[in-house]
Amino acid sequence: MKPLIVLIQASVVVLLIGAWELCDRVGAFDPSILPAPSAVAVALWSLLHSTVFIDDASDTIVRVISAFVIGAPIALATGFLMGENITVGRSLSPVFNLVLAVPQSIFLPIFALVLGLGFTEKLIFGITHVFFVVAISAMAAVSEVPHGQVVLARSFGAGKFRIYRSIYLPAMAPQIMTGLRLGLIFDIVGILLAEMYASRSGLGVLLLRWGEAYDVDKLMAATVLISVATIFVNEIMRIWEGRVGRWRHALEDR
Amino acid sequence: MTSARPIVIETRGLGKIFSIDRAPIIALQDISFTVQEGGFVSLVGPSGCGKSTLLQMLAGLVPSTAGQVLVDGLILREPAPDKISVMFQDATLLPWKRVAENIEFPLEIGGMNAADRRDRAAAMLSLVGLTEFAARYPHELSGGMRQRISIARALAPDPRILLMDEPFGALDEQTRIKMGHELLRIWSRTGKTIFFITHSLTEALFLSDVVLVMSHRPGKIVDVIVAGLPRPRTYDIIGSAEFGAARNRIWKLISQDDDTDASEGMASL
Repeated sequence: MKPLIVLIQASVVVLLIGAWELCDRVGAFDPSILPAPSAVAVALWSLLHSTVFIDDASDTIVRVISAFVIGAPIALATGFLMGENITVGRSLSPVFNLVLAVPQSIFLPIFALVLGLGFTEKLIFGITHVFFVVAISAMAAVSEVPHGQVVLARSFGAGKFRIYRSIYLPAMAPQIMTGLRLGLIFDIVGILLAEMYASRSGLGVLLLRWGEAYDVDKLMAATVLISVATIFVNEIMRIWEGRVGRWRHALEDR
Repeated sequence: MTSARPIVIETRGLGKIFSIDRAPIIALQDISFTVQEGGFVSLVGPSGCGKSTLLQMLAGLVPSTAGQVLVDGLILREPAPDKISVMFQDATLLPWKRVAENIEFPLEIGGMNAADRRDRAAAMLSLVGLTEFAARYPHELSGGMRQRISIARALAPDPRILLMDEPFGALDEQTRIKMGHELLRIWSRTGKTIFFITHSLTEALFLSDVVLVMSHRPGKIVDVIVAGLPRPRTYDIIGSAEFGAARNRIWKLISQDDDTDASEGMASL
């Protein structure tokens, strides 16, 4: 059953790409706006061998990772405090919910004004994208910790640290993993957006430049590459998420 | 009933006042009783009378606002896992741990090494007759099995006292009766002191030597029933005249208290 479904899914993709190629060949699509997949593939190949592209790509990757590495731990700590301490939670969560309702992209011009167009601006913009979603999910994860199990662990003589390690951590892990995965995706969105708005380097700059110059082959190639890379990252984290939360799905299936 | 056995649990004028929004609520008042070594004592009372609070105080989990709990003659101020194990209504097994790992959990907290833990868990599993389920996860077991695992876990650190808070309350009638027999079997094999909270007067009388009857608002011990029913207990005993008399006596004590709660008590008979 399963291999058959995969086969059908694969053939749908192949068919779509084939149809697209055909449309370009017979002149139904304008190749200067929608180039054929074969042309995009050629452009992709040359991009992977271009040092300029690799340099810009690594700038973007460094920004994404830096924002995540700095933002995620701070967010986890904040979210945990909000969940554990009623006073902290009550005072911060309305603020967080309000902030989440506002599209963060509108703050970009202000960020650029205050912080300039360098690394710091993109880093901080990325961190704000990671922070809120991870903090909110960490807070929600704390509320998932079953009180009965905490009481039980206490009755067996468990101290605070042991309760955090043996009850909180495993109970919270699945939701925290979801938060981190979303945080990383938001992070990528934020960094690319900041690069497209105004930057001296990065994939966002290249996309914008090629778009404005009608360099469509390269634009498409880079778009495909970024899509594939983000899908890959997302899937890896989803598999990890599934492992950490296997017991949880089993509970839901019951 | 020999009274020569030493007293392991004693409460002296135990009280608990909750202050919610500045209006103090007297949950428990002047609770004084003793439990003998190896005894099986049940506590019955209308729901919301503070039974669970009392149990948590006996476990050292909740501080009292008056009086004391003494275990082996010493004032209890915090959980004493070497002497006391607690078991709750919902089995509270850790869903991410396998059955054997769940039984090992209190031993892990106690700092026992892995090899000894495994041996101890295996012994407990065989005591409750679930050896073949060691590698399963809690959600793969039935409610009754989960409670047996919970008993095994409570017994793993080899405590002398077992405090049970309506352990079979969520089970169906048939499973509940079986679990009662199972508990009596384990009790007679291990010689633990058991303090057992239940809604069911039948269950309380069937299992225990002594039944403490509680009223509510404030929660007080209104009577101590020693029915003196013979052991080993069989199901036939429930139909006997002395059983019926004792149950009626408790029923009258409880139903005087509050009409709504009395009808609830009737349902669990």
